[in-house]
Amino acid sequence: MGGCGIAGCINMAGGRISGDTIGKMLETMGERENGLGAGYACYGLFPEHRDDYCLQFFFDHEGAKSEVEELLKSLGSIAKDEKVYSHKVKSMRPPFPIIWRYFFNPSQKLEWRGRSDLSNDDLVVQLAMHINADVPGALCVSSGKDMAVFKGNGYSYEISKLFDLGRYSGKMWLSHSRFPTNSPAWWGGAHPISILDWSVCHNGEVTSYGVNRKFVEMAGYRCSVLTDTEVVAYTWDLLVRKHELPIQAAAFAMAPWYHQDIKRLDPESARLATWLRLTYKEALLNGPFSIIVGRREPEVTLIALADRKKLRPLLCGRSVDGKTAYVASEECAVRVVEPSAETWTPNAGSPMMAQAGKGILRVGTEHPFEGVG
Amino acid sequence: MPQHASPKRRMELEAPDRFRPVVDHELCKKCKKCVSECSYRALEFVDGAVKPIGGCVACGRCLSVCPAQCIEIRQIQSMFPPHANFNERVRRGIMSQATTGGVLLTSCGTDIPYPVMFDELLLDAAQVTNPAIDPLREVVETATFVGGRKGRLEVKENGHLHIEKEPGPMVAMDMPIMIGHISLGSVSYNAQKALFAAAKELNILAGSGEGGLHKDFNVFSQNLVSEVASGRFGVTGDYLKRTAAVEIKIGQGAKPGHGGHLPGEKVSALISQTRMIPLGTDALSPYPHHDIYSIEDLQQLISVVKEATEYKVPIGVKIAAVHNVGAIASGIVRAGADFITIDGFRGGTGSTPRIIRDHVGLPIEVAISVVDQRLTKEGLRNRVTVFAGGSIRSSADMIKAIALGADAVMVCTAAMVAMGCRVCQQCHRGVCSWGIATQREELVSRLDPEVAAARVVRLFRSWNEELKEILGAMGIDSVESLVGNRDRLRYFGPNSKIAEIMGVKHVGEGWG
Repeated sequence: MGGCGIAGCINMAGGRISGDTIGKMLETMGERENGLGAGYACYGLFPEHRDDYCLQFFFDHEGAKSEVEELLKSLGSIAKDEKVYSHKVKSMRPPFPIIWRYFFNPSQKLEWRGRSDLSNDDLVVQLAMHINADVPGALCVSSGKDMAVFKGNGYSYEISKLFDLGRYSGKMWLSHSRFPTNSPAWWGGAHPISILDWSVCHNGEVTSYGVNRKFVEMAGYRCSVLTDTEVVAYTWDLLVRKHELPIQAAAFAMAPWYHQDIKRLDPESARLATWLRLTYKEALLNGPFSIIVGRREPEVTLIALADRKKLRPLLCGRSVDGKTAYVASEECAVRVVEPSAETWTPNAGSPMMAQAGKGILRVGTEHPFEGVG
Repeated sequence: MPQHASPKRRMELEAPDRFRPVVDHELCKKCKKCVSECSYRALEFVDGAVKPIGGCVACGRCLSVCPAQCIEIRQIQSMFPPHANFNERVRRGIMSQATTGGVLLTSCGTDIPYPVMFDELLLDAAQVTNPAIDPLREVVETATFVGGRKGRLEVKENGHLHIEKEPGPMVAMDMPIMIGHISLGSVSYNAQKALFAAAKELNILAGSGEGGLHKDFNVFSQNLVSEVASGRFGVTGDYLKRTAAVEIKIGQGAKPGHGGHLPGEKVSALISQTRMIPLGTDALSPYPHHDIYSIEDLQQLISVVKEATEYKVPIGVKIAAVHNVGAIASGIVRAGADFITIDGFRGGTGSTPRIIRDHVGLPIEVAISVVDQRLTKEGLRNRVTVFAGGSIRSSADMIKAIALGADAVMVCTAAMVAMGCRVCQQCHRGVCSWGIATQREELVSRLDPEVAAARVVRLFRSWNEELKEILGAMGIDSVESLVGNRDRLRYFGPNSKIAEIMGVKHVGEGWG
């Protein structure tokens, strides 16, 4: 994605964070964006619909909306649907999509194109990818439970104003401001890119995109947004949800140690490291990146990871009271909301992890395969 | 009773020589070294001077050994009346067949100037949005692993992450290069020794070829891929078990649908012992394996070889690139192969019918892409290692082959050229003046295995350095991130249909 700003925060003690906080964090890093896309993801914001899949869409026209509604109704029930609140921002230029939200539950014993072996999660993934690839004028922006993505084509302050982020509060926020260089600026291309309960904000350019794309396509994912970030999101879903890799192992597959350094590990870890590299060599994300990844299952979790050469910035922070964890491209993003926060930088290729209800599970300087929690 | 044509008459009708060594008699020291070194007997010393007597193949041996540097090999200008359709090559073929009445034999890869897609591909580089990496200052990895993969790893967590057991045999190479199967028989003892020693020094693999393994070469076995070809020459349980990997050879790019050809002239005592065949007989491998008439038969042979080697080494299958190569490769993976070697139609050989070499098969560039796309579509690409060969001439070809979808390349001719080969296409005659493709002791001794091995080592080290330079320029720090990364290639040629089939965008097209 070229040069971009990323920021995230999570309350680990059961409290909630207002949308104004993440807005401030992101907007402070104004140097990192050029008005061609920004977005936010919030987790834990729909307590009354926490067990429904929240599907949010951009529709280019009413026809696309009715087509998607028909599809949803044929596959399950809609508990509630509503327009995603937005109000006019004078500086933003049209076109503006119709932004709509559905709280959706797939029917029991549902078949998807002749397949009856899919879990509800699998079905939602298939559904979102099908809509994005095959329904003209419709784009599923987020599809997880108790989470939502607010994004668009504009500056970070325009997008936070557009959606009036202050009206939301949640356990965790992720955000991204864009300076696109390798794919066009459009509403769907803004970050976070989300599938199921995963969302990814990404600063960087994956030089191995063609390989990573093959990796997820082999597992049945369909790439429709055509950005490297989309593939990163699918890779997390595939490695952690489908292949059940612990998060540290998945992070290692994406940003592995060099073979020459693996030799220095204890024999058991070296064996794991080597086989992670061999088995998942197509998952290696080459080139510069720092990413913030959000997840809701089994508990709201924040993951921050930089590439193995650390060619993009990534900084972590913890509030003085120890309740809130922060990650950002730049320290100013943390200082602006928590001037005396403790800050540190994780190692190249080593994930920082924080979880609601648990605290910081990894600071990002540990042994790659140390257990958590 | 038919009349035999007179010798004079026959000479008139035969194809004229194409080359002539020309000696500068003012400079000539009359040492006669050129005469004794010319294994094609194209020179003689008469009336106090060296003179050409016909039969020169432009192997270049004479001029390389001439202390006075007074020999020049000239291509004899065509004396055929110009005709674009019945060109000189066509007319020479007719003349040769009219003389011999047989299938024309030749060697090396085809010399017909078919378009080379490698030369129509351009690579990408990093600018601004991602940093290029200097391999002299930063780590750029080229280690390549050969073997089957499961596609998924089960990781256990109890305080510390670990795996219960390693998923299967895997062989590490320091660079994505394998020296292809060049059998003892097609080449000399010294040539094979040099190739094997180079593989060991480079920590890469080399193919044994189908001629079995000479006992002296057991020291190299951890860098060797033993070959089970249709003739099963030299195949014993011990031979299979000793090496790092085993390859079942179904076909070869230079002669798809044919078995090996080793002319009796090359079956010396040494070859006879290693191949376990009678002295001086032609060793012609059957066209198919007579226990493989179908994919299920191949599956059985793969299982048999896996049993014989106790699942300790990867088992691969080599096929010539033919029109339906994608589906065939898919079947081979499903039959249990840990690696596949695809050999393009330009691949070299020590002996092949010219009709097959020049007219059968697929270019490797297309075959790699088609196989990679097919295996990806079927969710199989991450189960298998893919080697590609069939005229990988340079590091540029190697890099493009990898970007098109090969995990590693198989190289033969370039290694031979490093050892002295001039690609004169006379290997099948068994009188190679460079001591490579011959079994005549006086010729074999011309090749110093140590010198030859060092040259092959330097060649491939330089290719590997060039690979790192290109990877770094692309902002990629490990070679696996280039495998099948066709996004980093653009097609710059006359036929955009080829680009479409290869899954490569045209020059000028960006990312989105």
